[in-house]
Amino acid sequence: MSSNVSEGITTALLKFSEEKIKQLAEYFRTNKLKFLGNSETIKIAKEVRDSGELIFYKAYIKDKPLLFNIKLGLILRRVENDPEKLSDLREKIIRKFQIKGLHIAYFVQNGILNRYVGILLDNLDSAETLNKIIANTLENIEKHVVFVSWKYKSRDIIQETMTLSAQKPNILIISGAGNTRKEILDSESQLSAILKNYELEKMSTEKKEILFFKINMLLEKNKQTKI
Amino acid sequence: METISLKEISTESKIALLKELDFDSDGEYVLNSEGNKILDRYLEIPIKVNNMVILPGSTIILDDNILSISKYMEEFPDVL
Repeated sequence: MSSNVSEGITTALLKFSEEKIKQLAEYFRTNKLKFLGNSETIKIAKEVRDSGELIFYKAYIKDKPLLFNIKLGLILRRVENDPEKLSDLREKIIRKFQIKGLHIAYFVQNGILNRYVGILLDNLDSAETLNKIIANTLENIEKHVVFVSWKYKSRDIIQETMTLSAQKPNILIISGAGNTRKEILDSESQLSAILKNYELEKMSTEKKEILFFKINMLLEKNKQTKI
Repeated sequence: METISLKEISTESKIALLKELDFDSDGEYVLNSEGNKILDRYLEIPIKVNNMVILPGSTIILDDNILSISKYMEEFPDVL
């Protein structure tokens, strides 16, 4: 579109004339024009789309809906210091993908997926294996992660961890933010005692507390040999 | 493709534009030509005139939120 046309459009918008509205609609119909809203929204969506992290996951995750959940997690991370945007996006993720979708997005937002992939890379035989393990973990996120909400007390965290550990997942994560941090920290020593065959790795920040228990393959192997 | 920010257009003009594009409004929501609220393509929520975007692809009107915009960008990668 020429600059003359642009100037014409700007003038028309200021005048709000019927004739110019018709002209705008015509420009739209002939693909010369689009009508956008908040430019910040598009900027964030593009930044995440083009991020190295998403490009990495695109190379390994072939399931498109799952990949979109990962993208939403990256967007959550990008807006996490803006309470209004954060709350709006959480609400929309739940609407579209239910609580499971939000949990997957949290898993990504908090850097847990990255850490998990880092662990997997140590013993990986193929890209296909990585794809399968990540997809399986995300699809079964509730079997791997205790998402600690504000309602949880230490005993709830321990109880839920014990329930999950009965299935012997390779990783078991306790994740919380804000006021839940204290309850998580209070549970830490007891959790370590319960999860004897796991190694604990902490991912703590000022706002979040994440206990990352990964199974100690050597201990597990020895245990099975003795049996 | 040129871009116009709907944030800079009055509600009255947005409604006039909708009508010109064969949509309508009750003053708050975007309606189709039969007078029913149209829903965001990805979230299936009604779209408020003051929080809409109008995009190419057989005239797609979306709620202006990052989830819908991201989905649109996947479906129509070359537009935004």
